[in-house]
Amino acid sequence: MGAFAHFLAGHFDTLRLEFWSLLVGGVANGFIYGMVAVGYTLVYGVLRLINFAHSEIFMTGGFASYFVLRAVMGTSVPSGWATFGVILVGIVVGGTAGALAATLLERVAYRTLRRRNAPKLAYLISAIGASYFLFNLAGKEFGRYNESMPQPYINHPVFTIFGAPVQLYYLVIVAAGAVMWLVLDRFVAATKLGRGIRAVAQDAETASLMGVNIDRTIAITFALGGALGGVGGFLFGLGSGVVYTMGFVPALKAFTAAVLGGIGNLRGAMIGGLILGVVESLSIAFVQAAYFDVVAFAILVLVLLVRPTGILGERLGRSA
Amino acid sequence: MLMALPAVGLTSAANAAGKPTYTIGYEGPLSGGYQQLGLNMVFAVQLAIQQANRNSKLPFKLKLATFDDQGSSTLAPAQAQAAIQNHSLVAMIGPAFSGATEAAEPYYSAAHMATVSPSATAAALAKGTMNNFMRVVAGDDVQGAADANFLVKTHGLKSLVVINNGSFYGAGLASVVAKQAKKDGASVTTYTYPTTGSCGGTASVSEYTSAATQIVASNPAGLFYGGYYCGLGLLLGALSSAGYKGTIMSDDGSWTTQLIAGTTPASAANGVYVSEAGGGNANLTGKLAAEYKALSHFTANGATYAAQAYDATNMVIQALRDVKRSPKVTVLRKQLIVQLHRMTFKGVTGVIKFQGNGDLSRSSFVDFGKVDASTNTIASVGHS
Repeated sequence: MGAFAHFLAGHFDTLRLEFWSLLVGGVANGFIYGMVAVGYTLVYGVLRLINFAHSEIFMTGGFASYFVLRAVMGTSVPSGWATFGVILVGIVVGGTAGALAATLLERVAYRTLRRRNAPKLAYLISAIGASYFLFNLAGKEFGRYNESMPQPYINHPVFTIFGAPVQLYYLVIVAAGAVMWLVLDRFVAATKLGRGIRAVAQDAETASLMGVNIDRTIAITFALGGALGGVGGFLFGLGSGVVYTMGFVPALKAFTAAVLGGIGNLRGAMIGGLILGVVESLSIAFVQAAYFDVVAFAILVLVLLVRPTGILGERLGRSA
Repeated sequence: MLMALPAVGLTSAANAAGKPTYTIGYEGPLSGGYQQLGLNMVFAVQLAIQQANRNSKLPFKLKLATFDDQGSSTLAPAQAQAAIQNHSLVAMIGPAFSGATEAAEPYYSAAHMATVSPSATAAALAKGTMNNFMRVVAGDDVQGAADANFLVKTHGLKSLVVINNGSFYGAGLASVVAKQAKKDGASVTTYTYPTTGSCGGTASVSEYTSAATQIVASNPAGLFYGGYYCGLGLLLGALSSAGYKGTIMSDDGSWTTQLIAGTTPASAANGVYVSEAGGGNANLTGKLAAEYKALSHFTANGATYAAQAYDATNMVIQALRDVKRSPKVTVLRKQLIVQLHRMTFKGVTGVIKFQGNGDLSRSSFVDFGKVDASTNTIASVGHS
């Protein structure tokens, strides 16, 4: 018992010393999870299915921004406003590529099935097939190496929070993630298109009778989720590079985050992402990194045991 | 996964002469996150076969069949099974990775097929006597001890973090490094960071962010990474962001310029030390290097384990010439195992003679290199 108390005390001491540093890294990761989780949640909202090819939307955004940044920057490292401009280019390219890929995916892999009233299982198989097709295509075309994303800045601590350095990279993630999520939240809550999405999510048949174009609304929903996923791919690639399999683990975590926050709930997706990112980061004070993912999924199971609909609950069709 | 390459360098005259054709296999990563190491080797195997086929006095023709296991212990058994079903395949160069070798060996052993690995260094692989497994590199017991001495004795580092990627190879090598470093008087903390989704594993890349924070908090003078370049590249990026300034070293799994390409930012790979258990003249040089480059488009200097693969292939070809070749493939395979254990071969990496357990008889030394990201090279900085 004494040994166990000593063991715990040692780990809490580690947590006390490194809490703020781990928190900063966890929040940054959490924003990426959250941005990708939004894609899962939006699609689930309108189609009641999990888009398992979302990991490849993430990868598409990462590769598109990688190629464009490589062409724009060469080997130079910009500074000042040029840095801001290049980051913006990366975000726009990643987001656009993600949105286009998601729209195409909806057209090819889902719409046909929807028109034929295919069972939900067919959507699942279609999504998994599209996912395998896309990442293997990327592996064949872009190579199977992890490629380093051109850096639009020299990463450095910008300021500290209780002694914990906050890197420029983390600031970019948080700023981009927060702005994009806020814009999306307002878009869905306060625009006509957003009302259309919510109407389809609540009752597609009635929405159709009320004049909502279902196909168009679903395509827009995919595009919005894809844009955030694509930007997530760019931001993730800035730190970890790009490779054809890059989407698998982050997307799985994002799916977890979406369920954790309450699938179908936009705010829940972001909150789920943040909680997952922070908890797994803090867990390293207690367990070896080998248990990193075990902790993340143990938290998910525990939360779902207490709240089966996630932290904020499913809020389909409401203004999130 | 099975990719049978066409016969290389065969002349129509040789074909017309009706010589028997034997296939030499290569098993290693030819796709996936570690393909660079496999590609380095397979082109050297191909070069040796091409050169042999150009020799009109060769009493047989040679073909190459490649088996892509992606360096994975999960995929390796299926590749081994495919290889032993090929009844013209007489010996295997590889498997390249230690974990894949451990998983595939039972199949090769049961089929009495010689496997001469250019690069599988895990100490635990060399066992038994007169078995089918042989390697033309030193084991990790040699490399790990040399790496620890390099960090603690040569560089005077008294506190080390020793990390492994959770693989058969990485964990085995890191444990040797940790043990020797403690023996040398350093304080050692060990961590396991499993291979991530970006490198063919399933762990989250974000593990490195938190891990780097923890490492910087304890601020060790040096860090050793037992694993492959893909994972190390990601860890280096995280360590750089977290502000780690200590000495970093890794192993032969990281001795490739792909480490630089896969590190974000690339400058974070600058100054990293790597080691290679090849021992001695570990590169193809001169005319051989030029031929290798023409074939592979890789520069031989830095093509890790190309020279060893070249030697392993030539040794198998020599053994095939030396034996009284049985028309039955099962017998011929056994003949090659016996002959490979008997013979002494002078290759480009030195004199190769196997012990009963498949390890080299000679004492090998370990080469050390230093990464220069600005020139995209790994410069030799001496040996053990």
